[in-house]
Amino acid sequence: MKSQTNISPPTLWLKFFRWFCRPEYAEDLEGDILERFDERLEKHSRSKAKRLFILDVLRLLRPGLVKKIEGNQSLNNYGMFKNYFKTARRNLLRQKTYSIIKIGGFALGIAVCLLISLFIKDEFSYDQHIPDKENLFMAVRGYNENGNIEKYTWFPSPYANAILEDYPEVIQSGKMIFSEGFGAGNANIRKASEVTNYYEDGFAFASQSIMEIFNYPMVYGDAKNALKEPNSIILTKRKADLLFPGVNPVGEVVVIDDNTEAPYMIGGVMEDLPANSTVKFNYLRSLEDYRFWDGEDKSWGSNNYQVFVKLLPNTNLNELIPKLKYIDEKYLLPEYLEAGYSDAEEAIETMSTSLLPIADLHLKSADIGDPFEKSDIKIVRIFGLIALFILGLACINFINLSTAKSANRAKEVGLRKTIGSTKKHLITQFLTESILYSLLSFALAIGISSLLLPYFNQLAAKSLYLPWSSYWFVPILALGSLLIGLIAGLYPAFYLSSFRPAAVLKGKLSMGSKSSKLRNSLVVFQFTASIILIIGTFVVSKQMQYILNKKVGFNKDQVILVQSPYLLGDNLEAFKNALRTIPEVKSTSYTNYLPISGANQNGNVWWNDGRTKIDASISGQNWIIDHEYIETLGMNLIDGRNFSRELRTDSAAMIINETMAKQLGIADSPLGQRITNRSSNRLIYTVIGVVEDFHFQSLTAPVGALAMRLGKNYVTASVKLNTNNLSATTAQIQHIWDEMAPGQPFIYEFLDQRFGNMYSETIRTRNILTSFSMLAVIIACLGLFGLSVFMVEQRGKEISVRRALGAKMSQIIQMLGMNFMKPIFLALLLAIPVAWYIMKGWLNGFEYNTGLSVSLFAFAGLTALSIALITISFQSIKAGLTNPVDGLRNE
Amino acid sequence: MGKNHLGEFEEIVMLTVAILHGEAYGVAIIEEMESRLNRTVSIGSLQVVLKRLEQKGYVSSEFGEATNIRGGKRKRFFTLTNLGKGLLKTSRDQRLSLWDAAPDYALKAISI
Repeated sequence: MKSQTNISPPTLWLKFFRWFCRPEYAEDLEGDILERFDERLEKHSRSKAKRLFILDVLRLLRPGLVKKIEGNQSLNNYGMFKNYFKTARRNLLRQKTYSIIKIGGFALGIAVCLLISLFIKDEFSYDQHIPDKENLFMAVRGYNENGNIEKYTWFPSPYANAILEDYPEVIQSGKMIFSEGFGAGNANIRKASEVTNYYEDGFAFASQSIMEIFNYPMVYGDAKNALKEPNSIILTKRKADLLFPGVNPVGEVVVIDDNTEAPYMIGGVMEDLPANSTVKFNYLRSLEDYRFWDGEDKSWGSNNYQVFVKLLPNTNLNELIPKLKYIDEKYLLPEYLEAGYSDAEEAIETMSTSLLPIADLHLKSADIGDPFEKSDIKIVRIFGLIALFILGLACINFINLSTAKSANRAKEVGLRKTIGSTKKHLITQFLTESILYSLLSFALAIGISSLLLPYFNQLAAKSLYLPWSSYWFVPILALGSLLIGLIAGLYPAFYLSSFRPAAVLKGKLSMGSKSSKLRNSLVVFQFTASIILIIGTFVVSKQMQYILNKKVGFNKDQVILVQSPYLLGDNLEAFKNALRTIPEVKSTSYTNYLPISGANQNGNVWWNDGRTKIDASISGQNWIIDHEYIETLGMNLIDGRNFSRELRTDSAAMIINETMAKQLGIADSPLGQRITNRSSNRLIYTVIGVVEDFHFQSLTAPVGALAMRLGKNYVTASVKLNTNNLSATTAQIQHIWDEMAPGQPFIYEFLDQRFGNMYSETIRTRNILTSFSMLAVIIACLGLFGLSVFMVEQRGKEISVRRALGAKMSQIIQMLGMNFMKPIFLALLLAIPVAWYIMKGWLNGFEYNTGLSVSLFAFAGLTALSIALITISFQSIKAGLTNPVDGLRNE
Repeated sequence: MGKNHLGEFEEIVMLTVAILHGEAYGVAIIEEMESRLNRTVSIGSLQVVLKRLEQKGYVSSEFGEATNIRGGKRKRFFTLTNLGKGLLKTSRDQRLSLWDAAPDYALKAISI
């Protein structure tokens, strides 16, 4: 008895025991260890007793005796979470309509967001796989046209070598050609040993150094010399498998475009390019020792090549770029002076050269002319904004519906508070609930987006997929659902948890009307966003309609383009004549100079003859056509005559367009005027006719000057038909083709489709925009629908009384409708100026645009209003139709 | 049978509880086992077994009166339930029947 009062066991360890031990066992166990301690004090030394005490405590650390992690209120309140989940589940099941709207709308918004995020991620991934991309650049030439810098990427043949030799910072340089006029693009290819041609796309030319600059991985052959030999070719894996399945084709010989005089030897096979490459091709023909015309390798006047360079690491671009100007002064200026051009120095003065990082090529080069399919960072940003918009709309739905239904939860809140919940507990509860909703929505959203993905891929011309195998995907989804659940749940949580229990339990809370102001302003925001999207969609659609149907100055309907008529060999004229025997064929023309992009275009500079040293030049196209061209494409000759087979002098004749006549100052009497251009073998042409301006480039630009002369170009045959049965006539043409060019592929396209392709990017943007704005409207309407359900529910008694007293159905609808129409009218007022401002900017990008009309805005507004009205009246009519007795019976 | 199988330690603890009849609490049980079986037992391992036996319904427990030893903490006394008693008996009978069945010479120890 004495010892125990004096000597106490180690306090810290006793406290530790008290902390970990289950409270239901704590008392007797503490008694036990204390008793043993006292006994040991009598037998052993103090320190040993203490040591044994500690050992006893440690040995009590067993799963059965330690506090349960979920069991005790004082440690945590996981038990409460169980209850929160239960309450949430019950609420979810009890109010099915709301739950479907809440979760469905949320899921839809998240799905759209997910798709757009994948899209954006894909856009940003372009060219990021290129090794050493920090030091790779594409050369860009700027022409200062009255203060406007026009940027292009075409350079003369010797440029790539000159930049490598003259600048030590440049360690590698190479050139490529993508122009159809030079045989890139589509071509026929066959094994030398066989006759059958394959009509293939993706031909390009490249110098050997390109292989080293881009460091393309090879399947067969060596990247260091695959293109070294003149007339060597590299195939991508896919194409090699097509021609030489399963074997190593290096050293095999292929013939391109039936040109047996210059067969190609396969120098290597490279891996297929990743889909997110901007510089794309399937076949690379060597540019080593290759000249498209004599003296090309020395000529600085003809810009046909894309030039890529690799710089020393850490090169200061700001120092290098200004120095690049000396190339023009060193090489181009002497050539101009030699030719005796009056404006040589001014021309050089307007030029500048810069370098575009290869990683920026896909997104940040919208203002640069090049042969690549690119995107625009602006579009990507707009899509990102739309994604956020839609997610915002979905969150707002959630907030609105949660606060609207607050009346139903008010009693629960009151009761919980009465039995001891604090505000913090309730906030936790409602946040848990909203995170639960968010998780459910995410699960649903993943389902929706995997369903939508194929359609979206089609729409956006992409091959996106949900990156399940990426390590970041699932964590990001989880984090996203938590975050969005928190954001959407925050306001409802604070709102609901602030009810005063006494007031609520007495039934004093006016049913959810307290926050109707906030709800209304959120509805205003939702509809403002939706209406802006609707107006945007309308404007874009109308502009597209306008472009696709604009009188372009030539007839693009019922013209088929037969590819590669040179395959006919000696039968070229015979084919033309044979087609003439088909009554549905009106005329046939051989040339690839067509008023659509992807066809030949050949920019020159022009003067009136005898004034090359006096006047400034004008730039204009120099096209090669044949006698039937103007008839076949339905151009309108407004002065003079067409080329004639009878007049031999027509080989030096020209037909020009109105713009050219105007720019040369010969619009008053163009016929008989003599004009000349700046080519090495300078010729003088006599103008014999003027055609009405027709659009030969995209409608984003004004019509430029254009001159056409007779010549031979057998890349494409345009055939004008006059029939309603296109397929039958096409079959007839194919029949003739098969007779005259046996074994050669008959490939044809429709001119109007090719014309449409010029706007495929814009059309794609329109389609995506349309789909997204439809989704945005659907989500906004879901929210509105939910609110109208709520409103009708709240005012059920009132409506019943009104009905019983003789109110007409129309009056009920009017009464309920007006309530919602006010915020929507307000949204309309807000949306119109914003949309006007945005769309004005967009339309300014088009030289020819429809402009913005009041009727357009009125129509868009009306659409929004009627969609809203339909959404609301669905419930209003239902309310009007219910028997008043049902609403009043349960008093 | 399988379901109501008793572990060796469990059986010993229950028998000790029976020995102490009415006075079986933590420290007493340990001391009894230590003195009779010459076997050290920690409070932790004993308590875990007691909780388990209580959960299975073989023993029951109740608090005694508070005294001013043991820091004023009450003792928890354990007693066997009828189920526990029955189980012990079955266990003993089974052992005995096994002993009986085994021939004597098989169990006779060979002197070393």
